[in-house]
Amino acid sequence: MSATYRTHMKIIGDILTTTRDNLPDEHGASITYLIRRANISHGRISKILGTLVSQGLLEQTNSGGACKYRISNVGREFLQAYNTFNKFADSFGLTI
Amino acid sequence: MAELFFLESILNIVGFVVGVVIGSISYIGFRNTGSPTLFRLTVAFFTIGIGFIIMWLGQTLDMITYGAIQPEQWMQTLGIGVQTVGYFFIAFSHTIKSFFPKSSYLRSVGMFPLFLISFMSIANIVRSISFILLVYGAIETIMSYFESRRRTVILVAAGLGALAFGEFLGWYYFVFPQSVLNLISITTKITGLILLFVPVTKVPLTKIKFDENLDDA
Repeated sequence: MSATYRTHMKIIGDILTTTRDNLPDEHGASITYLIRRANISHGRISKILGTLVSQGLLEQTNSGGACKYRISNVGREFLQAYNTFNKFADSFGLTI
Repeated sequence: MAELFFLESILNIVGFVVGVVIGSISYIGFRNTGSPTLFRLTVAFFTIGIGFIIMWLGQTLDMITYGAIQPEQWMQTLGIGVQTVGYFFIAFSHTIKSFFPKSSYLRSVGMFPLFLISFMSIANIVRSISFILLVYGAIETIMSYFESRRRTVILVAAGLGALAFGEFLGWYYFVFPQSVLNLISITTKITGLILLFVPVTKVPLTKIKFDENLDDA
């Protein structure tokens, strides 16, 4: 992850991309794994994960007593739209 | 003069179409992602499009009603003013944080001189504000290009730069009214708008679907 400033949207994009492309196992990614990949604090990621689960973008599962997160179909659609419009905004020199 | 009317009509219609299309795509992006940046782009390009169509309406209605080549100045000023709001939002997207004075007293005093001067003067003032905002937007976009190195970014920067140059020539035209500067100004602006349209051609719209559940995302 780069050390430059990331917007809230960019962090959400990073979390969803990780849960889609870089899952450590089929049950999903743990909070610790996501913290490492998305490079944000526990408090902040907990809030974001709560929002993403409540919006149906992530699915929460229990595996071996630990909470794990996987991207849902709605999350995949959102991520596709995010990537498309991220490029669009980028063309205007802006960050989504 | 008839050629000038024709060229200005083309500029205003191209401006309206480009504004509405980019505004619509930004709005689709905003609906799908909830991004504030895309919301600002939506407002910016819709207002730019509306500004162009106001100018076209003013010019065309005047031509139809009175057969006059020179349109009503207040309608042109209104159109330019609405466009400037759009340019402000483009510049604002590049994080202009404080554009207006914070004190309400300063704001009211700042508005007062607008009632003392003619529409022609207001049009010139608004044009110069547009010019500053467009130059600022172009410079910020060039800076973004150095970070991302995306080719479309440099085209958008060139588009904003061309619009700024067009505004500058349009303002200079008041000093030399009989020169070809207005023709060059309009052509430059049309080129700028076409360059702004380039990123739209890169959006694979057929793959994007609306999802009503994502409204609050």
